[in-house]
Amino acid sequence: MKLEIRKIPESEPEIVEVRYHWITDEIQEIISFVKSRQGQLSAMRDGKRFEVPVVDLFYAESVDERLFLYTASDSYEIRMKLYELEDLLKNKSFLRVSKSMIVNLMKITSVRPALNGRFSAILKNGEEVIISRKYVPELKKILKGGEPG
Amino acid sequence: MTNGKRKELLIRALRLYTLLVTLITILMIILGYLLDRDRVFSYEAFFSPLFYAMIGTAATMITRSDKELSVRSLIIRKIISLLLIEGAIILIALSSDTIPTEKSWVLPALALGVFTVFILTHMIQYHIDRKEAEKISADLIRYQEKQINGSSTFYSR
Repeated sequence: MKLEIRKIPESEPEIVEVRYHWITDEIQEIISFVKSRQGQLSAMRDGKRFEVPVVDLFYAESVDERLFLYTASDSYEIRMKLYELEDLLKNKSFLRVSKSMIVNLMKITSVRPALNGRFSAILKNGEEVIISRKYVPELKKILKGGEPG
Repeated sequence: MTNGKRKELLIRALRLYTLLVTLITILMIILGYLLDRDRVFSYEAFFSPLFYAMIGTAATMITRSDKELSVRSLIIRKIISLLLIEGAIILIALSSDTIPTEKSWVLPALALGVFTVFILTHMIQYHIDRKEAEKISADLIRYQEKQINGSSTFYSR
């Protein structure tokens, strides 16, 4: 695949153009990355592709090597690894809360203690997700204004 | 294990140890006052709560897990932890000259006392965690307001 990068005058809009013969996994990955930078994630539900706004995302969970995105009422599958998504969203109020989950801090209503020193986050749609003790220091750091590590 | 995790674990162990020393001391005062008021001890008796708390902390730390346990596994581990502590304390009591295990009430009282301390420890730890959760919730609300009110271009769209 040929890569073309060209400097343009400030008067012209910046464009990322993808020219393809077929939408391969590689092409789809590039499209997904660009969309995610614009605040959207390309994900599948019932065999159809959807553009999921990152601000609507409640959490993402990895189950059996597959990654799922959850909004208030829908779930989507995205072809990405959890750590890749975590890296992509780390400056957008998303935080790893367990080994298989990242959560949108903007969608948490409150936090309460769970068993064995863990915490439970109550989300705005009423769902509850577990915050492992291991990730609590990072959560506190971010809430105090620190940068995600 | 990372440094942060080791530090977190050490803090939890120390917190548990301090809590256990306090509760065991209170338990010894209550049991002694109610059941064996006339007994006289040397200064060595002050070491007992420190020693018993060490056993309790060790048993709790041995049965802890870094894995995300289900509620069932967690309860099983807690029961194992309690049985380990009960077993260790009763063995120490039986091999000790200072604890009058020949009296019929001593071993049941010890077992009940250990159980009470175990339950109280968990209740107090839950209370500490609840306070911590309330603080996190308050910080979270402030964080969300800050994100919405302009510091983040992402959420101000």
